[in-house]
Amino acid sequence: MAASPGCCHFHLSGIPVSDSPPISLPSAAEEALVERLRARDEAAMTEFYDRYAAALYGVIFRIVKAEDEAEDVLQEAMVKIWHAFASYDASKGRLFTWVVNICRNLSIDKIRSRQHRVGSRTMGLDDSLTAQRQAAPATFRPEHIGLQEITQTLIPEQRQIIDLLYFEGYTQSEVAEELDLPLGTVKTRARTAIKLLSKLIR
Amino acid sequence: MQDIQAYIESGILELYALGDLSSAERAEVEAQAARHPAVRQELTQVQAALGLYAEAHAITPPAGMRERVLGHVLANLNSPVAETPATPASRPATSSLRADVDELVQSRHAETTTSTPVLPLNAPEPVAPARSSGWAIAASVALLLSLVGNALLYNNWQQANGELVALQNDNARIAAATQANYRQQLGAMQEQNAILRNDEFRAVALAGTKAAPAAKARVLYNLATKAVYVDVKNLPALPADKQYQLWALDNGKPVDAGTLAVGTAAGDSLQHMKDIASAQAFAMTVEPAGGSVNPTLSTMTVMGAI
Repeated sequence: MAASPGCCHFHLSGIPVSDSPPISLPSAAEEALVERLRARDEAAMTEFYDRYAAALYGVIFRIVKAEDEAEDVLQEAMVKIWHAFASYDASKGRLFTWVVNICRNLSIDKIRSRQHRVGSRTMGLDDSLTAQRQAAPATFRPEHIGLQEITQTLIPEQRQIIDLLYFEGYTQSEVAEELDLPLGTVKTRARTAIKLLSKLIR
Repeated sequence: MQDIQAYIESGILELYALGDLSSAERAEVEAQAARHPAVRQELTQVQAALGLYAEAHAITPPAGMRERVLGHVLANLNSPVAETPATPASRPATSSLRADVDELVQSRHAETTTSTPVLPLNAPEPVAPARSSGWAIAASVALLLSLVGNALLYNNWQQANGELVALQNDNARIAAATQANYRQQLGAMQEQNAILRNDEFRAVALAGTKAAPAAKARVLYNLATKAVYVDVKNLPALPADKQYQLWALDNGKPVDAGTLAVGTAAGDSLQHMKDIASAQAFAMTVEPAGGSVNPTLSTMTVMGAI
């Protein structure tokens, strides 16, 4: 059942896909890479980098917000992915999901271990909504899939909640407290936002 | 089947995908996904949606990073750390990503403390000369048990220590966040007070329509600066995919004045809407989240003339 979680009914409509299909969706290339990593093929790590570095670096950078630290975390994450590969279980989720989560966890650990963490994080709080209302920063690759669709699909309040949950490592209760919203509202908004996003797929 | 639907709609799959669950809760989600294809499918979709969100935020890494990172990574593939990914088979099948990775880190961490006392079990030589002396064996076993016990206690103590630090961090952050929140609220209230006391603002009472007789709100319209604020007294609650939208009526033509945030609709505070050049009346309708280009007149909730 889990062998091919919807292998064929995923395709993107209305999203400009330049050359290769999005790496966040299943593909034969991903399966081949998993096989090579499982077989402990060291050269596969180069392919891994070329395939995932931009996406992973984007996630890490959004969390740690500093280039040198983002590079450290990516490096650390790749070493960890290699050594922990035996614990990757394809029946529980896609390779991309697994590696993004490793990167998120390491990034969040990184910012939590910072001395000035409390200060730097609360600094962002006052401006977070304003920041969300602004257009995407120029560092984002405008030619890349989806960002435009995402800004069109989600209202700023929904993006803000997903950003806090996904990129800042907040729990839903923390988001509720931070935005001064009832927990139920946070739950429904998060769920609605994810539902809207999944409509971009298929 | 209905239970499954309720389970899916409870939002727990989103929490799972966001990494916001305890290990017991994660195991439960994984068990449900293994048992029910509908749960698995929904979970796959949620993960794909978040994956797409992550991928949409991709950033091309700075020049030179590829060589540095790959150089470091390839040099570390065979480091001593490589010894640890052992025992995948002994790991419970239910453990999930975060737990797996943490475990790995901990096992690396605990290696120095636990591996020494445990080693003799696998290497029976020192104990082997079992000279039929029951006392020696009993003493060895007691010593081993004590060593293992110590290692476990040490581990627990370390874990508790780590949790304490995490709790203290959480505490400090929540305190700071609350303070920031109060400061923000105070600023917003001062601003609102200034608006309410400003004579340039004209209050336009909006009364409920037949659809919602108890609904009540008002618009504060500055004829000089064209600024529009909305102040809700009472509006029916809406589902998450709907929003109230304010319209200015200018010579009978509706002009979009923006959508109301959830807090505004609940009457928490004033909201600054879009500037309106000229209007004779204001009205509010219920629109899909994000607002509409033209008002859905059948959903008009409140209305009032200047």
